[in-house]
Order: sequence, then structure tokens, then C-alpha cells
Amino acid sequence: MVPTPYYIALSALLLTIGSVGVLTRRSAIMVFLSVELMLNAANLAIVAFARQWSARGVESALSGQAAVFIILAIAAAEVAVGLGILVAIFRNRLSTDVDELSEVRL
Amino acid sequence: MVGFIILAAVMLAGALGVVTLKQPVHAALSLVLTLLALAVTYVTLEAHFLAVIQVIVYAGAIMVLFLFVIMLLNVQGQEPPPHLAWMRPLAYLAALLAAAGIAITAFVDRTPLPTAGQVAALQGGSAEQVGTLLFSHYVLAFQLVGVLLLTGIVGAVSLAQRGNPAAPEGARTRGGAESAAPDRELTHG
Repeated sequence: MVPTPYYIALSALLLTIGSVGVLTRRSAIMVFLSVELMLNAANLAIVAFARQWSARGVESALSGQAAVFIILAIAAAEVAVGLGILVAIFRNRLSTDVDELSEVRL
Repeated sequence: MVGFIILAAVMLAGALGVVTLKQPVHAALSLVLTLLALAVTYVTLEAHFLAVIQVIVYAGAIMVLFLFVIMLLNVQGQEPPPHLAWMRPLAYLAALLAAAGIAITAFVDRTPLPTAGQVAALQGGSAEQVGTLLFSHYVLAFQLVGVLLLTGIVGAVSLAQRGNPAAPEGARTRGGAESAAPDRELTHG
């Protein structure tokens, strides 16, 4: 059985690679893909912790897995809305460069 | 352990591909590789139901949506260099520091691993077990996710709708900033 810290380290690496993508890419689609990567890294950490917590009983372990299930559903909704926004922005400006979208803020 | 190292290598290669590849389609396919390797990792972590869901929902539905939009927008790989030249090395440095910090914290923690019997009690995180928990303990969260998905569908449709007849004339023109003002008055008044 692979110890939990290895999974957490892998998750940390994935998360930081994703954050580098968010910080350095300029196309909004690439930023979005990197965000998905970060989300999945967090899911991996939760599933690894869920197995670690099976010492406290089946229910606390499966609670982590239920949380990941709900996160997956939320990610699906987030992608649908996010890509809808991207399409709307592209239709207005014919570009998805995030540097040109600096006025899309409060 | 060997299996974990192979999986981790595949996952990291896919992740690096997402960040470095120029063509968005290649990056998206690279992310699919990472997500599939992640599904296999879920199996090794006794979460079989999540592994199946990961393949169907993430590697399937969500990435297909991404590929649809990439091909719809027809974005090509010519990304200009970033405005702020110091941003890139700073991003790499901050990422390395964060990864090292999390990894060190994880390895410092000396909580013992659960025994094989305790892990076996999870029954591989079967659909029955996770489903029972979702429909008993977390039924409110489950229902709220349903509401959220419905809201997401309505939002995506209303965003992607081209000529919305109910919207004021200005909303369809190029300047989004001017058209936002009457909308706001409508909703607040």
C-alpha cells in the first residue's frame, strides 16, 4: 500500500503545475484547462485522505468520496457556465486573450 | 509502488503538456491523459465508483465540451508572450515553493496508515456504499447539486443564446459596458 504522503506530494505537484498554467498562459481556454487540472489535484488529495481516514470507520472514509462526487458535479456545472462565458466573450471581441479582458471586473 | 510511480509519471507528463503545449487541442488531449491516469489512481485508493465517474464525467463529458468550444472558437496556437516579463519566472518559483511546502508538510506528518482490514472495509468505495451515504447523510447536498446543475444549464443556455429578443438592443452590440447599465437598473428596481 502506497503511503498517503506520496499521493499528497503528487497532488501538490499537479496543483502547482496547474497554477503555473493559470499564471503564464494568456488564452482564456488554456487558463481554464489549468484550473481544471488544479481542481483534479485537490480531488486526488481528498480521495487519498479518505483512504487514510478509513481507520476512523467506513463512514468517515466514504464521506470524503461523497465529497469528491459532489465536487465533480459542481465542476461540470462550472465548466458549462465558464465555457458559455468564454463563447459569449469571443463572440463580442473575437479574442480570448485574458490580458485584453482587464475591464471584466468590478 | 512501481505502479504508483508509473501513474505519477504519466500524470505529471500530461499536466506539463497542458501547461506547455501551444495548440489548445493538444493541451486538452493531454489533460484527458492526466484525468485517465487519475481515474486509475482512484482505483488504487479504493474509490472504484469515483474512478468510473471520473472517466465518464470528466474525461468524457467535460473534456468533450472543452474540445467542442476549442474547435468552435477555432483558436490557434499563436499566443503572444506575456505583458509582464517577470511574471513567468516568478510563477515557476512560487509554484516550486508551494509544491515543496505541501510535500514537506505531508511527509512530516507521521499518522500511521490504516490497516489492510480497515481499508478492505471500504469495499473499494462501491457505488452502493457511496450511494447509500449520499442518499442518507448527504441527501441535502445531493439535492442542492441538482439545483446547481439546473442553474448551470439555464445560465449556459442564456449566455450562449445569440439574439435574445428579451434583452435590450444595446446588449447585442459590441460594447458590453454600456449595455450592462440598463440591465442592472432592471434587476435592482
